[in-house]
Amino acid sequence: MGHPLLTQPLLTAILVLLLTAPVSGLVLDGYDFNLRWQPPLWLTLIAFCIHWMILLFKRWRLGEKTGKPSPWSRVSSWGSRPSVHRLAFFVLPVVGLVLPFFLGKYGLTVAILALIYVLLALGLNIVVGLAGLLDLGFVAFYAVGAYGYALGHHYLGLGFWLSLPLGALLAACCGIVLGFPVLRMHGDYLAIVTLGFGEIIRLVLNNWMDFTGGPNGLRVDFPTFFGLEFSRHAKEGGIPIHEFLGIDYSSNTRNIFIYLVLFLVVLLILALVSRLKTMPLGRAWEALREDEIACRSLGINHVTVKLSAFALGAMIGGIGGVFFAASQGFVNPTSFTFFESALILAIVVLGGLGSIPGVMIAAVVLTVLPEMLRDFSDYRILVFGLAMVVMMIWRPQGLVRARRPVFQGRKA
Amino acid sequence: MKKLWLHGVVLVLAVGYPLLARAGETIPIGVGGPFTGPYAAFGEQLWRGAEQAAQDINAAGGIDGKKIELFKGDDACEPKQALAVANQLVERHGVKAVIGHFCSSSTIPASEVYAEAGILQITPGSTNPMVTERGIKTLFRTCGRDNQQGSVGAQFVVNALHARAVAIVHDKDTYGQGLANAMRDELHRLGKKEVLYEGLTRGEKDFNALVTKFKSVNADAVYFGGLHNEAGPLIHQMKDQGLKATLVSGDGIVSQDFVVAAGGPPYAEGVHMTFGRDPRKIKEGHEVVERMRKIGYEPEGYTLYSYATLQVIAAAISATKKTDGATLANWLHSHDVPTVMGSKGWDAKGDLKVSDYVMYRWHGKGGYEEVP
Amino acid sequence: MVATMAAEIFAQQTVNGLILGATYGLIAIGYTMVYGIIGMINFAHGEIYMVSAYLAAIFLAVLHFFGLTSVPLLLVAVLLATVLVTALYGWFVEKIAYRPLRHSTRLAPLITAIGVSLILQNYVRIAQGARSQGMPSLLQGSFILPVGDQGGVVQITYVQLLIIIVAFLSMAVLTFIMQGTSMGRACRATEQDRIMAALLGIDTNRIIAIVFVIGAAMAAIAGVLVSLNYGSFDFHIGFITGIKAFTAAVLGGIGSLPGAMLGGLILGLAESFFAGFVNSDYKDVFAFSLLVLVLIFRPSGLLGQPQITKV
Repeated sequence: MGHPLLTQPLLTAILVLLLTAPVSGLVLDGYDFNLRWQPPLWLTLIAFCIHWMILLFKRWRLGEKTGKPSPWSRVSSWGSRPSVHRLAFFVLPVVGLVLPFFLGKYGLTVAILALIYVLLALGLNIVVGLAGLLDLGFVAFYAVGAYGYALGHHYLGLGFWLSLPLGALLAACCGIVLGFPVLRMHGDYLAIVTLGFGEIIRLVLNNWMDFTGGPNGLRVDFPTFFGLEFSRHAKEGGIPIHEFLGIDYSSNTRNIFIYLVLFLVVLLILALVSRLKTMPLGRAWEALREDEIACRSLGINHVTVKLSAFALGAMIGGIGGVFFAASQGFVNPTSFTFFESALILAIVVLGGLGSIPGVMIAAVVLTVLPEMLRDFSDYRILVFGLAMVVMMIWRPQGLVRARRPVFQGRKA
Repeated sequence: MKKLWLHGVVLVLAVGYPLLARAGETIPIGVGGPFTGPYAAFGEQLWRGAEQAAQDINAAGGIDGKKIELFKGDDACEPKQALAVANQLVERHGVKAVIGHFCSSSTIPASEVYAEAGILQITPGSTNPMVTERGIKTLFRTCGRDNQQGSVGAQFVVNALHARAVAIVHDKDTYGQGLANAMRDELHRLGKKEVLYEGLTRGEKDFNALVTKFKSVNADAVYFGGLHNEAGPLIHQMKDQGLKATLVSGDGIVSQDFVVAAGGPPYAEGVHMTFGRDPRKIKEGHEVVERMRKIGYEPEGYTLYSYATLQVIAAAISATKKTDGATLANWLHSHDVPTVMGSKGWDAKGDLKVSDYVMYRWHGKGGYEEVP
Repeated sequence: MVATMAAEIFAQQTVNGLILGATYGLIAIGYTMVYGIIGMINFAHGEIYMVSAYLAAIFLAVLHFFGLTSVPLLLVAVLLATVLVTALYGWFVEKIAYRPLRHSTRLAPLITAIGVSLILQNYVRIAQGARSQGMPSLLQGSFILPVGDQGGVVQITYVQLLIIIVAFLSMAVLTFIMQGTSMGRACRATEQDRIMAALLGIDTNRIIAIVFVIGAAMAAIAGVLVSLNYGSFDFHIGFITGIKAFTAAVLGGIGSLPGAMLGGLILGLAESFFAGFVNSDYKDVFAFSLLVLVLIFRPSGLLGQPQITKV
């Protein structure tokens, strides 16, 4: 036997060579193939180095004295200190409100997307993180919100401001409707039924050509501000806001406006959710997650508790959908695939199930990261997937561990 | 509050200005199309054509001494990504004109972004009528329209195939459904009614149930509005089930990838499609075709359309010495431009004054030939 | 005349459904076994199937290059090579992405599974290009069976027949392995109670790895046969087929081997009949509605064991 530090990586390297040689070394060309030497060799070399480094790292960790907190745990404990919370409470809203004026148009669209994902993640966090109901079809409510706005606008001429509460209400109703049949199910069966519902909604949107426009989608009007429009030229009798304010036209104005409204809504929802966590309802969610049978014997009505979680989560998802439609100016079913559900779930799990700050950080990271990787275009999603796996193995409990609110009795 | 808005605008200008200043040395032009995803074959056609044209124009001194710089905008043939990519081309790369997009369902939402920014857009491949029917002044195309294509298809099915029962299938996309509807309208005008009209879902491979349905209505001609990725498995399964019906489609299958998707030349054999008169046979393009073949690329499908589109853009910029969409559009409406595909001129909508579709047939060696 | 016609179409749609269902069933085995043993939904399984389709085409091209032309020999060699390398993929994915998470929260491996499927999909896309690839038809020709007495026929290609035969053959072999060998017993023991099995001296990690290998091998068989049948594939096929196969596994009762095959066949037939006689647009809606309905009335699937909650 050779040195274990080298034999193990060598074995890995041979395995990786076996795996990658056909797929990346022999490239199909019609019914023929072209030989390429470099990709499998590079991959093999990379695999060897990574395994070798992991072994070195493990040995180094073994030699290190235990008991010393890792730098990461210091960061995360710093994140949970109350004084930091109070500081964040004042600083974050100010930073968030000023931010759009310093972002270009592109940065602004990314920021809006990130905030939408914060909303979606907060919604799913109620269902999965707090109530412990694994929902793989959360995107359905997102779609209901977005299409609610788009269809309401298209057929009934509803504006953004009316659609926002209506879309939320519609999504909440869908949440309840979906919630009823699945109440009897547990764990993974629930996950699968929700996945089924998510796919059904997307398929119906995709196939009901006469009503939803099918794969070609629907156009949505941008929101107005007390009747002031954000387009270069207003439609029938409206006044574009740049003329009203006497400034030059910029397509950014509209995005800044959407951003600000969205930001306020996020703050509102955030306040609501963190309140709920400490209220009896939130406590009941968590209790039900931990032990359903015990809760029912203690007289908690599991039906209303579960339904309320579904309805609230769905409502927040629906609001996210309305904002998505408003910011894109366009909706079509490809935005609501299972991948989107998986992404939102990944945000919630990576952030730390049930932890509100963790989920928010993860939402921002997971939307900004792929955008930052856009310059790698081809490798973007690959790196994203790698990051997901590595993050999960590195911190399976998520970025920020969820903390139960603690009520301390007054000191005597 | 009002001042803050102004600050924002000033800041955006301050950040944006250096970009604009640098852009003075070259003329940035966007190429929008599906460069990834299942329809990447068409994106490659657009890119190869535009790239070759940019090289040739730059080698000849560029446009009034300024070199053309191309930027890829990948929409993967998806409306949502098309919007994002259009914004990116406009905002980040500051393109002066756009070649693209390819899929009509991408071209339509993207065109609103370009129109709002006042940028000239010429699509080499989006044939859906709605592309130019919406009154956007700065939007042109160098290909035909589906109503022309559909009627050629319908006439062929009725007059040449003498089909008794025609089934029409589409992929629910703007292009595919538009084409199928155009074909259906012409069929009705010719006094025939289709026996089946149905949609299939993009990305699927199993159409056996649908093929059996063709059998149940005794279809002897099947018209498909869609792209090669679905047309391939469709004809494969039709032949596997022993269906004798002829498959007729549009320009969405003009790619060697169709033969691969069908499972080999024997399966593709006998499939008919409509496409513009083969651009490789137009004499103005001979020299370019030869050059591309020399570097090992066969300029099939939309490659030369894309080449011609960049020539049109270059001609308009060099004639007007301007890059704003309105000026370029005005010039194009009143001038004909010589291209590798012959001289091209446009009507008030932005459609070609002359465009002709002919019927092609895939033969047993994996290529296609004009049906006499 | 009308009756014959209807019988002919009905028979043909049944054949279509059975073939589709057999492939769903083969892929569903991977889902159902993995779920049975570690209670995790392996979302990367569909992508393993996709990789196997590419592997099959590559091996076919390579063997062709080296001058192998005998069709049965080609088929066997391609099948063996593909199954081998795909199984290796399954094993590798389990070791890298799932084993380190054996003792963490239930959701953690679900997220890595999603990550792995993104990685596999894009790895193949970058390596092989985004265009759809083709597979030359090795077996051409078909059986023509008469239906009724007025000349109606049902056509089954040799490849389709091969799909059905191989699907049932591999099911039989797998059932034998699970029921009759000591390895199968160890698998079932681990499925029942992992801790107890470990206490009794079963290397549960090895057993779990074997389950992943078996699942990947079954997916590889499906990958070879399906790409031969349709003649084309691309890097997207894993997702749609994966979700369908997973639905089949749940429909039949997740954790149950015969259930996976039964679920697959029911799903295939349902899709085929709905598309053929009602509307092909809504066939997937119908398939998923069927799943939801079955689960509402039989929450543990058709052949699954009902879950008992211990207090």
